[in-house]
Amino acid sequence: MRNILAIAQKEIRSYFVSPIAYIVIGMFALLYGWFYSVMLQFFVRQGINMSMMGGQQVLNINQDMLRPVLQNVTVLLLFVLPALTMRTYSEERRSGTIELLLTSPVSDFQIIMGKFIGALTLYAVMLSVTFIHVGLLFVYSNPEWKPIATSYLGLLLLGGSFLSIGLFISTLTTNQIVAYISTFSVFLFLWVINWIGSFSSGWIADLTGYLSVIDHFDDFSKGVIDTTHLIYYLSLITFGLFLTMKSVDTERWRG
Amino acid sequence: MIEVQHLTKRYGPFTAVTDLSFRVERGEILGFLGPNGAGKTTTMRIITGYMPATEGKAIVAGYDVFEQPIEAKQRTGYLPETPPLYPDMSVKDYLTFVSKIKGVPSSERTSRINTVMERTRIADMANRLCSRLSKGYKQRVGLAQALIHNPEVLILDEPTAGLDPKQIIETRQLIRELAGDHTIVLSTHILPEVSQTCQRVVIINKGRVVAEDTPDNLTARLRGSETMYVQIDATGADAHTALTRIPGVTRVVESDRRNSTIGFEVESEQGRDIRRDLANTIVSSGWGLLELRPMRMSLEEIFLSLTTEEAEQAATAEEAVHA
Repeated sequence: MRNILAIAQKEIRSYFVSPIAYIVIGMFALLYGWFYSVMLQFFVRQGINMSMMGGQQVLNINQDMLRPVLQNVTVLLLFVLPALTMRTYSEERRSGTIELLLTSPVSDFQIIMGKFIGALTLYAVMLSVTFIHVGLLFVYSNPEWKPIATSYLGLLLLGGSFLSIGLFISTLTTNQIVAYISTFSVFLFLWVINWIGSFSSGWIADLTGYLSVIDHFDDFSKGVIDTTHLIYYLSLITFGLFLTMKSVDTERWRG
Repeated sequence: MIEVQHLTKRYGPFTAVTDLSFRVERGEILGFLGPNGAGKTTTMRIITGYMPATEGKAIVAGYDVFEQPIEAKQRTGYLPETPPLYPDMSVKDYLTFVSKIKGVPSSERTSRINTVMERTRIADMANRLCSRLSKGYKQRVGLAQALIHNPEVLILDEPTAGLDPKQIIETRQLIRELAGDHTIVLSTHILPEVSQTCQRVVIINKGRVVAEDTPDNLTARLRGSETMYVQIDATGADAHTALTRIPGVTRVVESDRRNSTIGFEVESEQGRDIRRDLANTIVSSGWGLLELRPMRMSLEEIFLSLTTEEAEQAATAEEAVHA
């Protein structure tokens, strides 16, 4: 555990001494803020319209404001998260520091977990920027906190899955741009896979729907923690980390 | 302390190391000598557990590197060819990180870091970023990194590469100092380095051991006959005949001539000291004896003869196959 933390700490450090952390968090904050303000305006206008028409239906701040915003966050992750993992292994290989790690008394598992936790921590820091916006809603309105909490859990799991896959891809190349683009492509594939399903029926639709990373997020954003989705994300994370381990091991044999 | 047994490493169809075996005793400095691409780095990477061998095994401090990697690595310090530094860390932060993953207890961490910084003379650079260090300092930080957990075994891959002459002397001095407490394997393709720092030499070429001995023995072994160099002040060709007539002399070759000064290489039978007779003959002939010294084969020559001998054998073998 001590080794894992030492490596995680080093990873987080390296994010913050390089411009990556600032660019990623900055861009994310900017785009998120924009989504947020657009949705807020829309929500307020809709509210005014409804009260003018004297409608009975009451708008729900969780359902009609926060949920769409947080779903938009998942789109941002598609672009942002590959940047967090693109250099994790490629940089170590390029600078030769991989020789230090692999000849130190730490296991491959510890190295990988350290790197994963490091990336996940930076992602959590990035997400925490959005607490400001959510906090504002609590000041001026009274949203329910439970669906918000499950949404964040969902975002962490979704992001974790992306990061574990990104980690794997970064072991395959020493070129960061190649790593970014491949990671992005894989994410996109996992994202749009249910579109294929929507044109077909039967088991294909079921399968593609199950594989789609985004369908599983939906329940979390509604405030439901379904074990199916929990298991899906956790197995995706495990699978990504497993592939990373295998890849590092293969790399060793190949030399 | 280190035992390498029948090590073979293949990268696909290419064989980097073939059936390599050697031992290093506790406290010894072993020089690992070979031309570039001979398999030095591959062997070192296997000993340090960076990569597994295709066949054979390496045992460090009693632990099989492949079976018990963590135990073996705890006892090994490794300086790769390029020092494995994180460019965006300061020297002190870097050593702190390394001390953590090498398992130095947190209570001893600060004192260990200070000790190795002192020892490798990098204390004045403690707060500088690794990317801003000169090549010499990078190399020394790399050495500090290898020493941080006070390992029993030190594996140094070309520790003096890229250093200036003063730094090279300092580094060799440091390596010699370390020898008592640590068992050291250092690779190099610079031959004088071996004779200056190592007690024993393993010469490898094309992934095979071609010779293993002390630097002195290697020099002696390859000297088939004794050769003396004499420089005399004389004129005429009679010097050549006079020298040839000395008992025990097998061959006299004129090697240089300047005005009346002539240099000869005098070969004699093995084990026979002809120096006295040589001097007597020259003096009694009334010539001036300007220089008389034994000619030793330098390590360079040994190395070349060993490695080319091998190539010649391979060539003859190949011809035989084709014939």
